[in-house]
Parts: sequence; structure tokens; C-alpha cells
Amino acid sequence: MLTLIVFLPLVGAILCAVVPKSQPTWPRWIAGIIAAVDLALVGWVITQFSRDGGLQFVEKFAWVPMANINYHLALDGLSLPMLFLSALLTLLAVIASWKLENKPAFYFAMLMLLQVGMNGVFLAMDFILFYVFWELVLVPMYFLIAQWGGERRQYAAMKFFLYTLLGSVFMLVGIIALYLKTNSFDIVWLQANAPALVPAGLQWWLFLAFFLGFAVKVPMWPLHTWLPDAHVEAPTAASVLLAGVLLKMGTYGFMRVSLPILPQAYLQWRGAIGILAAIAIVYGAAVAFAQTDLKKLVAYSSVSHMGFAMLGIAAGTAAGLDGAVAVNFSHGLTTGMLFFMVGMVYDRAHTREISKLSGLAGQMPVIAGLMAFASFASMGLPALSGFVGEFLSLLGAWQAWAGTPMQWAVAASSLGVLFGAAYMLWMLQRVVLGQPSYAIADLPDASLRDIVVIAPLVLLTVAVGVNWSLLLGYVDPAVRVLGKAVGI
Amino acid sequence: MTGYALIIPELLLLAGALWALFAELLPGKDRGAAWIGAALSLAAGVLVALQGVGGQGPFGDLLAFDGSARAARIAVAFLTTAWLLWTAERGEGRIREAVSLAMFAALGAMLMSEARELMTLVMAVELATIPAYVLMGYRRANIRSLEGALKYFLLSMLTSLVMFYGFSFVYGLSGTTRYAGLDLSGAGSLGLLAVLLAAVGMFSKLSAAPFHFWAPDAYEGADAWAVAFVSTVPKVAGAVALVRLLAAIAPGIASVGTVVLVVSVVSMLLGNLGALTQGDVRRLMAYSGVAHTGYLLLGASTLAAAGFSSAVFYALAYAAPSLGVMLVAAEVGPGLADFDGLAKHRPATAWAVVVLLFSLIGIPPLVGFFGKLNLFTAALAGGSTASIVAVIIAVVMSVVSAGYYLRIVRAMFFGEPAEQPAAAASPIASLALTLCVLAVIAAGLGAGVVLGSLGTLAL
Repeated sequence: MLTLIVFLPLVGAILCAVVPKSQPTWPRWIAGIIAAVDLALVGWVITQFSRDGGLQFVEKFAWVPMANINYHLALDGLSLPMLFLSALLTLLAVIASWKLENKPAFYFAMLMLLQVGMNGVFLAMDFILFYVFWELVLVPMYFLIAQWGGERRQYAAMKFFLYTLLGSVFMLVGIIALYLKTNSFDIVWLQANAPALVPAGLQWWLFLAFFLGFAVKVPMWPLHTWLPDAHVEAPTAASVLLAGVLLKMGTYGFMRVSLPILPQAYLQWRGAIGILAAIAIVYGAAVAFAQTDLKKLVAYSSVSHMGFAMLGIAAGTAAGLDGAVAVNFSHGLTTGMLFFMVGMVYDRAHTREISKLSGLAGQMPVIAGLMAFASFASMGLPALSGFVGEFLSLLGAWQAWAGTPMQWAVAASSLGVLFGAAYMLWMLQRVVLGQPSYAIADLPDASLRDIVVIAPLVLLTVAVGVNWSLLLGYVDPAVRVLGKAVGI
Repeated sequence: MTGYALIIPELLLLAGALWALFAELLPGKDRGAAWIGAALSLAAGVLVALQGVGGQGPFGDLLAFDGSARAARIAVAFLTTAWLLWTAERGEGRIREAVSLAMFAALGAMLMSEARELMTLVMAVELATIPAYVLMGYRRANIRSLEGALKYFLLSMLTSLVMFYGFSFVYGLSGTTRYAGLDLSGAGSLGLLAVLLAAVGMFSKLSAAPFHFWAPDAYEGADAWAVAFVSTVPKVAGAVALVRLLAAIAPGIASVGTVVLVVSVVSMLLGNLGALTQGDVRRLMAYSGVAHTGYLLLGASTLAAAGFSSAVFYALAYAAPSLGVMLVAAEVGPGLADFDGLAKHRPATAWAVVVLLFSLIGIPPLVGFFGKLNLFTAALAGGSTASIVAVIIAVVMSVVSAGYYLRIVRAMFFGEPAEQPAAAASPIASLALTLCVLAVIAAGLGAGVVLGSLGTLAL
């Protein structure tokens, strides 16, 4: 089942690549149908999922026996929300790109290939398999940015590729070193046995190696500089998947790998991670303030939001980890919405300059309303999904560090919530309110397709925000298991 | 299997080489010779694959038929086949000499990978490299081609002589030329000197730094199709010959490992950084070849069985994509600008090159990734600080290599195509390229099988 979920999009990619050039509409149908089927399969898995914190749907057989490499897929409460996000956002990305005319076959093939990598990362329970999928996402994303991006797309694509490759090769060294110590690439086995087998000194170095791989992906300050470039140049669908799913691979990696396998090193490192997270939150928000480009603003807000996820991970308490997953999930929804909205505005007005846009509410009330909704969700208003995660992350961090000097970092992070509200509101004031500007005069409002893309995200945002257990019911059991491994 | 039956594949190559030599008098002429050569080397490869491992060859057990030799022979045979197929279809002018030279060189390469006796190795090395000098200078009218070939010839000869000088020390110290009795670990500093002199020759054949100066000039001067052969087939054999020699004469000499490690790091640095600024794909691949030699030396520097087999595996993983890329360069032109817009008129070729380049970068699940994985595992297993540093340099340098390989990708997909589109693909040449791509994917997914078949080296 999981194999089908991972590799079905590969079939889609191949089909997209081989359709005759004379049929430019076929690729989008292929991609759309495959992505819908994939989402349906994920939905079926969710209905069959038992909330006991264990691994389910295990598929395992030997791949390279002499090196102990297995083909091993499985699913638990940490992977499930991410897998769902990946399947959902891919489908929405396909729908949002429906009218694309520039090399559609190539484009949709790359989207499908990207989904193979994304699904795979969240399901792989073998380090080598994990790394295979981890690297696989670089290739389609490189092409998506470099082929359909903005003016500086070549530079941005190259920077994205090299920067994240550099991070992940260090992770590879960590994987090998861990293997040499334990003779296993099996993540599940390592979670149970590695803490006892690997001495604390080595754990510290291994944690650093994995940290580089994951932190670049998150991206954590100060390793975030590839992100604004990549986002600004990427086409809308790629931005959505980049922020909505790819960044989560980093935080997911911390929870899947670094915490349970290297718990002693984690205890040594968490303070530093917490401080970096607090810096990311405040720094990302502050820089977002200064942006004149709508998309860059959203990109920097991602740096800030992902900081909350890292703060929750650094806290390591059940609340903190729950919060981290919730931030991940909710950020996937809200940032997906925001990037889609920016894309819709840009497609119409051909500019993302905040100063040139104003009065959206007068000209396109639906888009303006959705944009306001997405911004409110993003700033973490109660009853919307963003609130759950940020609240739990901060709560978890406070539980972990109250009374220590670290509490000042937590306090600073909570200021980030305030900043987040401030720059979003300021952005809304400039873009949505006021007299319609020249740039948006006589432009059409949201089409049915736009609404189809945004509606599921809106519904989920409200549903999760109102009823937390809808998400945390799946996540919490897995987090308890994880918390036991770390011992906080 | 024993005796002459074991070297039938070599005899097939010899027959092909001789046929091509006399092609003028035989039916089929130039192209016929290439076709027959391709068929014979394909048959040789299949035969080696069927032969299995072990057995005593002719001439009093001078040749080893172990897993590494087998893998190298198969690789040599199939690379030669792919190259000959391409030549049969696309070669211009008098190609029979080229076919003949290549098949002699392939024969030498096969013997090189098997040799377990010093004089046998000497003859095999010369048989593999002398035709290569000629191939590199094949365009007699071109002054740059001749200059490159002359550089290659002089430096290669010089280092051969140094190597033979080293061999004479080895013989003097151990009293035998057979690998089984060559262990010099008790011979002190004179033994070390002997090993180093011998190794210098091998390093140069593999174009490892600091003996790499000839490579970019020679490659740039030569035709890309000649480079395709010379930069891959002898290198596979050279890697096996080097690790077999090291395994025989220096098993316990840690300082030899250190020297190899230093050469490895220098090669990775000079090769990768040198490649960054090249505008000619031949020069770029020459520098990147230096870098890849550096990687495989990282495995050899461990002086341990796992390291040796990872080095051999890496050489195999390097050869197929490198051959494919050079064959494409031979078709479209060697300048980076010649690749501009290739994806527009020949998308299949462009994608094939993408797969090959990503394998060279080491993106999983292609074979290059598993090559690097094995190397780094072997190098880290030693656990010394120096090798950990070397591995970190290696991973950083592989990111640098992504930088210049992506320049080719970028040219193909995002460059403005030239007014005159590059020559259309021919079916057979595409077949050769397809073989390379399939090898890269299959050997990646089946890395376990390939690596397992290498076994330990027979001395």
C-alpha cells in the first residue's frame, strides 16, 4: 500500500513525459488524476490508521543485504500528517497550474517526481532509502525553479540545489558513521538500540552532522539564505510545495532521527537549538516587516514560523513536540494558502510589489477575503490551525525552561507571535484596504478553479483550529513514544 | 575452467584488433571492422560474465581471475562495445586504425586488471597505454591534438620508467616478481621508496594529482570520441591494477596509506576546483576525472579489503557515465556552448546526460551514489582523524562538482540553442548512450549484487 502511494506518482511522471507533444492537455489530466488517486489512497490509510503510536503498514524486504540496507516503509503519527499534506498540496498544486502552457509535460512530470520524493521521505524507515528520497526532491525542484521561475531563476535554482546538497552530504557522513558504529541502517532498530550503543561523545558529532542536513532544510537561522531566493524565483506551485512540504522534511528529520536515535546528544544540543529557533522567530518576523515584495514577505514569515516548530522540538516535552507537528501541519496549510494567493494576485496584476498593490478588497473581494483569512490563520488567531501549534510550542518550551536563563529566549519567541500579527496586519492594510491601485484596475476576481484550490485549505484550517484532536489525536500517541525515548 | 579457455575473451579482442588492422583487405572495410569489433567485444563481455570466478589461467598462473578482475573485464568489454558501436555509426574517415588501437588497448586493459606478476603488469600497462597515445593524437593535421598527445606520451613514458625503476627495487628486495611473495612491509625505508616509485607510475596512469597536468591539455587537443575511450577503459583497469599492487606489496605499511590519502585529497581539490571554470567539456571532464581518481584513491588509502573493493566499484561507477557524456560531446561538439539548448531538439539525449551527470554528482539511487557511499564507509571505518577529514573534504568537493556538472545541465535546458541545430541522433549512437544510462540505473539499484561480486583480491 505504502509502496503504491510512493511510486504511483512515478508512473504519472513517466506517463507525462511520454505523451505526444501534440496533446498538451494530457499531462495535466494525468497528473491531476494520479494526484487525486494518491490523495484518496492516503485518505484510505488514514481511515485504517490505529492511534496507538506504533508503526503501521510496514513493508520491508532486503535491498542490499551485505550492507544491511533494506527497503523499509512504514507509517506512524509523525509521518501521517506530513504524508497527507504532501498528497493534498500536490493535488492542489496541479489544479493551480492547470492552465500552464510552457512545456506542460515537463512541468507536470517534475511535480509528480517531486511527490515521489516527498512521500518517500515521510515513509522511509531505512536510512539509505530515506536519503534516496531526500536527495530525489532536489532534482525536480531544481528544474521547476530553473525552468518556470522568475528573472533570476538560474541563480536561485543553483543556490537551492548546492546549498541543500551541502547540508545533506553531511547528513550522509552522519549516516555512515552511525552505520559503522551499529552496523545498521534501520531507523526503527536504531531508535531502540542506538542510544545504548553509541557513546555520548560520538553522538554529539553525529547530531551535528544530522543537524546540518536538517537545519538547512528547515531552514534554521543562519542557514536560511537560500530560502528567500528560491521562493521569490519559484513558480507558485513550487513555492507552495517548497514551503508546505519540503521545509517540513527538516523538522520531521529532527523528530524521526535526531531525537530518538541520539537522545544524549539532543539533551546537550537542545539549548542551542532553542536559541537559534528564538532568533529565527524574531529575525524572520523582523525581516518580513521590511519586505516590499509580497512573496518575500511570505518567505521570511516561513523562517519565523518554522522557528516555532524548532522551538517545540528543542523543548522536547509532549506539548512542545505536539506543537512542532501542529506548526508543521498548519504552516503547510496557511503558507500554501498565502503562496497560492500571492500567485493569484501576481497572475492578474503581474507585480508583487506591495506598494503597487492596494485596495484589493474593492476590486476583487473574494481574493481579498481569502487573503485576509490566510493571513489571520498565519498569524495564529485562536480557532484557526496556526494557534494550536504556536500555543503548544510556546507552552512546551515554557514547561521545559521556566526558571532557567532559557526562559528569556522563550519570552522573546512569544514576542514573535506579536510581530507576526503586526507585519501581516500591516501587509493587509497596504494591500487589501484603500483605494484600488492602477495595477489592479479592471482585473477579474477569483475564478472557480482558484476557489477549488483554496477551499480545502480553508476548511482544514478551521477544522483543525476548532477541534485540535482532529490532528493531535493522530500525532500525540507517536509523540508520547518519542518523548519516552528522549526521557523529558 | 582452466588454461587458455579462461582467456578466450582476450583472444576475441585480439582477433578483432587484428581484423581491423587488415580491414583494407577484408570485406566490410572500415565500418565492417568496427561492427565486427563491437560484436567480438560484446561476446567477450558475455563470456566473462558466464565464466565465473577463479581458475588457473595459462602461462603458469600469472593472471588472477577473481571478482575484481571479472568486474573490470566485463566493464572493459561493454564500454568498448558501446564505444565501437558509436564509432561504427558516427566515426569519420579512416576509422579502422582507431578500432584496432582501441581493441588492443582494451586487451591490455583486461590483462592489466588480471596481472599478478610484475612483468605481466608492465606489458599489460604498455599495451593499454601505447595505443592510447596514438588515439589521442589521431587528428594528425591538428597541431593542438599533436601537442596534447606528445605531452601525454612523454609524461606517461617518464612515469612508466619511474614505475619500472620502482619494480626493480621491489624485485631486488623480495627476490620474486610474483605478487604472492611481494610483501615489503618488513623492508624498511628502502621498501617504502620502492612502493612509492611504483605507485607514482600508477598514479600518473590514473591522472591523479600532482601527475595530472597532461590530462586537460591532452583531452582538449584530442577528439571527444577518443577521449571517451582513453578516459574510461584504461582507468577501470588501472584502478584494479593499482589496488591489486597495493594489496600485494604494501599491506601493512601505514605510511603508504598516508601517501595515497594525501594524493587523494590533493586530486579531489585540484580536480574539482580546476573543473569549475572550464568552458570546454573535454577539459571539464578531464579535471573531473582527476577528482574522481581522488575519490577512488580514498578507498585505496585504507589498504583494507573493503576499501580496495570500494575503489574498484567506484572506478566502474565512474566509467559508464563518463563514456556516455563524452560520446554526446563528440556528437554535439565539445564546447559548453555546443550543449546550449540540446533539450530542445534532442530531449531524450539531454535527459540521458542528466541521468549520467547526476550519477557523477552522486545523487541516489544512481550508481555514483553507491560508489561514494561505499568509499566513505570504507574510509571512515578506519577511524583515523586524517581519513575523517578526507571524507569531509570529499563530501564538500562533491557539492562543488554538482556546481560544474549543473552548468552542463543548465546549458542543455536553459541555453539558447545555436542557429544550426546539432546533428540529429543516430539510432546506434543512441543505443550506446542508452546502454550507459541503463548501466548507471541498474548498477545503482543492484549495487549490492555488483559489490558482492567483487569479492576480495586474489594475489
